[in-house]
Amino acid sequence: MAQNAVATAGKKPKKEKRSQFSGMSKALVRRETISAYLFLLPSLVFFVGFVVVPMFICVFYSFMEYGLGGIKGFAGLDNYIKLFQDPIFHKGFLNTVLIVVIAVPCVTAFSLWVSSAIYKMHAFTRSFFRCVFYLPVVTGSVAITVVWKWILHPYNGILNQLTGTAGFDWLGNQSTAIWFIILILFTTSIGQPIVLYVAALGNVDQSLVEAAQVDGATKLQVFWKIKWPQIMPTTLYVLVITTINSFQCFALIQLLTKGGPMNATMTIMYQVYDTAYRLNDLGYANAIGVILAIIIAIFSAIQFKVVKTD
Amino acid sequence: MKKRILALLLAASMSLGLAACGGGGGGTTETTPGGETGSGGETSSVELSLWSFNIGGFTDAAAWDSIVAAFEEANPGIKVTVTPINYQDGDQKLTTAISSNNAPDIIFEGPERIVGNYAREGLMVDLSDLWTASGSDISEGISSVSQLDGTYYMYPLSVAAHCMAINYEAFEAAGALQYIDEETRTWTTDNFVKAMEAIRDASANGTINITVPGIIYCGAQGGDQGTRALVNNLYSDYYVTEDGSSYNANSANNVKALTLLQEMVNNKSMSANASFAASDELQAFANQTCAVTFCWNYSNYTQYAEQTQFTPFAMAFPSDDGEPELEMAGPYGFGVFNNKDEAKIEAAKKFVDFVCNDQTAGTEAVKTTGFFPVHADWGDVYADAEDAEVRAPFALMSDYLGRYYALTGGWTEQRALWWPMLQAIMTTGADVQTAADDFVTQANANIG
Amino acid sequence: MKAKTTDLSGTSTGYKVFAVVVLILLALFFLFPLYWIVTGSFKDAIEINAKYPIWFPQNPTTDNYARLFEHEAFRWLFNIVFISAMAMILTCLTASFAGYALGKKRFYGRGILFTIIICAMALPKQVIVIPLLQEMTFFHLNNNLWAVILPTVGWPFGVFLMKQFSETIPNEILEAARVDGAGELRTFFSVVFPMIKPGIGALAIFTFVNTWNDYFLQLVMLTDEEIWTLPLAIANLQGEMSSDFGLIMAGAALAAIPIVVVFIAFQKYFTQGIAMGAVKG
Repeated sequence: MAQNAVATAGKKPKKEKRSQFSGMSKALVRRETISAYLFLLPSLVFFVGFVVVPMFICVFYSFMEYGLGGIKGFAGLDNYIKLFQDPIFHKGFLNTVLIVVIAVPCVTAFSLWVSSAIYKMHAFTRSFFRCVFYLPVVTGSVAITVVWKWILHPYNGILNQLTGTAGFDWLGNQSTAIWFIILILFTTSIGQPIVLYVAALGNVDQSLVEAAQVDGATKLQVFWKIKWPQIMPTTLYVLVITTINSFQCFALIQLLTKGGPMNATMTIMYQVYDTAYRLNDLGYANAIGVILAIIIAIFSAIQFKVVKTD
Repeated sequence: MKKRILALLLAASMSLGLAACGGGGGGTTETTPGGETGSGGETSSVELSLWSFNIGGFTDAAAWDSIVAAFEEANPGIKVTVTPINYQDGDQKLTTAISSNNAPDIIFEGPERIVGNYAREGLMVDLSDLWTASGSDISEGISSVSQLDGTYYMYPLSVAAHCMAINYEAFEAAGALQYIDEETRTWTTDNFVKAMEAIRDASANGTINITVPGIIYCGAQGGDQGTRALVNNLYSDYYVTEDGSSYNANSANNVKALTLLQEMVNNKSMSANASFAASDELQAFANQTCAVTFCWNYSNYTQYAEQTQFTPFAMAFPSDDGEPELEMAGPYGFGVFNNKDEAKIEAAKKFVDFVCNDQTAGTEAVKTTGFFPVHADWGDVYADAEDAEVRAPFALMSDYLGRYYALTGGWTEQRALWWPMLQAIMTTGADVQTAADDFVTQANANIG
Repeated sequence: MKAKTTDLSGTSTGYKVFAVVVLILLALFFLFPLYWIVTGSFKDAIEINAKYPIWFPQNPTTDNYARLFEHEAFRWLFNIVFISAMAMILTCLTASFAGYALGKKRFYGRGILFTIIICAMALPKQVIVIPLLQEMTFFHLNNNLWAVILPTVGWPFGVFLMKQFSETIPNEILEAARVDGAGELRTFFSVVFPMIKPGIGALAIFTFVNTWNDYFLQLVMLTDEEIWTLPLAIANLQGEMSSDFGLIMAGAALAAIPIVVVFIAFQKYFTQGIAMGAVKG
């Protein structure tokens, strides 16, 4: 019970600001605050130094006309206006949304299915499957990407050899390229959720499941009514890490398509890189970055809101 | 529980051990400038960083060893550190360095970046004094592209022409050798089309083991000179209008050329791959997947020599009148970044002067690039070379040198637009005139 | 385990067969890239570029490895291990302190700090890379392995994870320690640390693997060949002028095999650690 109280106290610090300090003397609050910040200090040094401060500088640059020769002057909102008129940004925005909206639910649903299929298997089989699905993660993003490049090679790739479509350029085709990016992203994202779900499903309270079965609940009802609520925290975690993965898939795009063909695989994240390093327009790159950061912050906030209210 | 703790401890101590060994590995750039061997009692020493693109044989730092050693011996107190970079991520590395105030002192590249990108941004040092002192025998064409608004920012070392190559044996077996002039290494557009069709038919009926006659690579990054030269030469036009005020892909002749290539792709006497960069096409050529490459020069010849089981025969790009105008490879040379340190700038100029104007060091440097010296007075540096024979075709190409246009405004931006245009035309069958018009409109917007 | 199979009584045999078949097919699909890397690294140029599938090298050759070791491949391997290990150690240290404070302490600014951390967690490093590079120059860390390590440690995911973990520590235990007169640090090391240890294990694995896979930071931070990492080197080998898949597969195998072997050997701890991170969260 005490644990519950702690959990709730910790979970809604924003709702009533006062409530977290209820029953604490002023001196105790001060003492707690000081010791808390001392504990936070090492982490905050890195976080503020290498995330927060750069983010502020990034916002500053986004209002500048900034090229290789340095800052040329104040640009006002020019970079942002340019962004909303930039067809590449529009394409990148749509692709980013597409990747996140397809990959995240697919990874979550699929890993849940695999986990529920394997979690009751014999220990050896279970760990075999878990291991197999985790392999692409430990193989490494670059290694996986380069082998896919070979698999999909139009002339020497095994995919074309098996399907008899010699010469077909999967990564050079506007309609197929993005799907292969999503597929490969999928194979490298699914390992961790499976490990998580297998553990979570194994921890589901069996007495509740049995009670429901006695009451004549169907398999599906048991799942949605009993198991699903209990694995909710795992789902939140899976959603978070998969979203991060999807927003940040860089190696795949850099090594396979560089955003092409004709921007078919351009994402906002890749456009930031491309604008900065190929086009040397640093001010504009930072503006795109700021917009991306805002999109991601909104996305994360929504995710937490939705899952927390359950 | 115990086991897990043990495992964790093991992992932690292992990593700590590694960390301990790695202490030295972390800080490579922190080498202290003072007190290196050899300079003995020198009061002040200058340390220069040279970033070298992989031009010809300069593929790694070791390629510079003897030149740098000779320079350091002649100039005690100056130390040169070489960082090799390549065209795949060189731009990114330079942008990284420049934007974080870490630009190298010297860069080895062509006017496209030295003059077009960096001098335009005011990052380079005026090298006019080097030109006044010893640049009199450098051709007008090279001299004009080494400057911006009358000031020299690049000092050149060597120059060559970009060309293409064919798989000689495959052409022979397919009966396509009749379409090329082996003597002058030229061919007309009509003959090029016939040759590619012959290759296609021969591979279809199994006479030769080639998958596709040729590949128009339209993936981003590098090698774009090959596709440019192909398009421009087919009907003898230029990439940029004569006065340099506009890109020219939508001219009647260039559209005709693009249309011809599109037709060839459609009738399978050519192939186009949007996922291919020049490197992929070269590898396909070396593997005999395709029978021609549009990205050839002496250094590619040497790099792929081991892998090729056939004779790569260098050819000029096909041209309707049989008189190609080839894009200049290079001229390659040096630029000096203005890092606001007079001593470094002086030392850097000394280095450039040494490599480009000292005939012994210069000849060696030129030979490493595999190209030809810009100094007319140096004559044929390859005269006694063992491989003079394999070099001859590349020397021949120099006769066809055309206009250099990589200094046109908005060059970097238009490169990013050229590929999507090719992709649209070659892989999605877009209307050529529309695609070319779009390209020119967007490219001209940055011409400044 | 066996007893629970009765649970499946609700599902038809047809579905069970279907599930097993699908799982096996999927397993083959997931195993294939690694299989292709390893076999590919032993194929000669002719087999690499064959126009029909060669499932197993007919004339196995170590030539690709010989060419790989003409470069400083071991150095690159060492660099990536060093980066990943250092990032792992520092992240675990700082995040377990911070996570404890966020999870168990009540202090001013806690809510806002946690919100900032949540928002920053998914922030791609591409966004802040230009200022980050300038900072590295400022600290004279440009072109240095630490330039990859430090921003990785700054990434707040670990703090989030450790906060979730710390929240499960019963207040009574902390209270008891305080009554016994233990100072803050002693409470942390003797009471908190043992309780969040599984979480630290999870975070350690997560950070190690993620740092290893963070190609982007390595790409922008590491210029000189001697401080390249193995993943970065593989990508560079596939550079402008050579798409030599034999060599690339040898590099990929060298990068993948050590971590795969470690993973299989310690699979139990790996999966336990990862799973614990979430179950508690």
